Amino acid sequence: MPVSSNQFTVSPSSGVPIFRQLIDQVLAFIVAGKLKSGDMLPSTREMARSLEINTMTVSKAYSKLESEGVAQRVRGRGMQISTALTKGTLSKRKSEFQNQIEPALHRGRQLGLNDEQILSIIKKLLGGRKP
Amino acid sequence: MNQPVIQCEGVRKKFGRTLVLNGVDLNIPRGSIVGLLGTNGCGKSTLIKCLLGLLKIDSGTATVCDEDPWDLSAETKNRLGYVPQEIKLYPWMRVSQVIDYTGAFYENWKADYCEMLLDKWELDGKKWIKSLSGGQLQRLGIILALGHKPSLLILDEPAASLDPIGRRSLLKSLLEKNAEEEQTVLFSTHITSDLERIASHVAFLDRGRVNFFGELEELKDQVGGNLEDLFLKMNSRSEG
Repeated sequence: MPVSSNQFTVSPSSGVPIFRQLIDQVLAFIVAGKLKSGDMLPSTREMARSLEINTMTVSKAYSKLESEGVAQRVRGRGMQISTALTKGTLSKRKSEFQNQIEPALHRGRQLGLNDEQILSIIKKLLGGRKP
Repeated sequence: MNQPVIQCEGVRKKFGRTLVLNGVDLNIPRGSIVGLLGTNGCGKSTLIKCLLGLLKIDSGTATVCDEDPWDLSAETKNRLGYVPQEIKLYPWMRVSQVIDYTGAFYENWKADYCEMLLDKWELDGKKWIKSLSGGQLQRLGIILALGHKPSLLILDEPAASLDPIGRRSLLKSLLEKNAEEEQTVLFSTHITSDLERIASHVAFLDRGRVNFFGELEELKDQVGGNLEDLFLKMNSRSEG
């Protein structure tokens, strides 16, 4: 398994619902490249046992991930990171990425960074990761 | 999780002139872990005792496993586990004797399971009941309630006198039972942090009524804040 249940942590009294904490961590693992399309998530029971939380809470997180298209239920195997994540036309994927990055660029300008400085940051970030 | 294990409709209970339960409505789904929350004296223990048939309700209807709590069949009692707020046992017995004695009342008593729990919770079977500390007594009370592997477990402030390690261990055991055997748990407490991890649902009892019942995670998602914040909000709302 690419990511095991003990790599997740929850803070039960933080006020953020536990299922949301789990969703956020799955998304973070995806962004960090630790979870890729087709990877399996730990089983509901395994996750509940390891984090000492109610199984219903894990089920809830997984159901939301499923309804948001991030993961899919595979009969007899459990939850799998959606293979559809990298699907869609290139222009569609590009426009989605553009929507994500626009606010960050805007913020960069607010912070007084010029284009060159912003580009250097992006290049640095891209350089730190294999394509 | 289809048919409710516990159903209450308009349950009322008076002690003399004091109305303690003033129309409790509550449906507890099978397989849920329900935290019953409320301030001191709001009627949590009274409600629990009414559900167990230890007190008779004055009006309204209640069913536990589809039966009238005042008239539970032996079969249903065999499926019920109860940990009272105050554990009263025979001081002149040894721990293992109390376990054997209690086990004799049940058809499906699991002596080896009790042994395992004694070991896990570091209780010495040879000790006299009168020599146990409050926390040790409470652990024993929990073992006695679990010995027949009940499908419905009702605990009245079970964690109050347990140390953090004992509390965590108890909660973990409850979660395991719930996951493996779909055991339903009703758990009264005012220590909200105990419930954060394990409860699937919460019920807030206030002035003899349940003023909220629902999924804990949904409640947190919609209202925001942790369970203690929610508890304070619920109570300030009813005061205002």
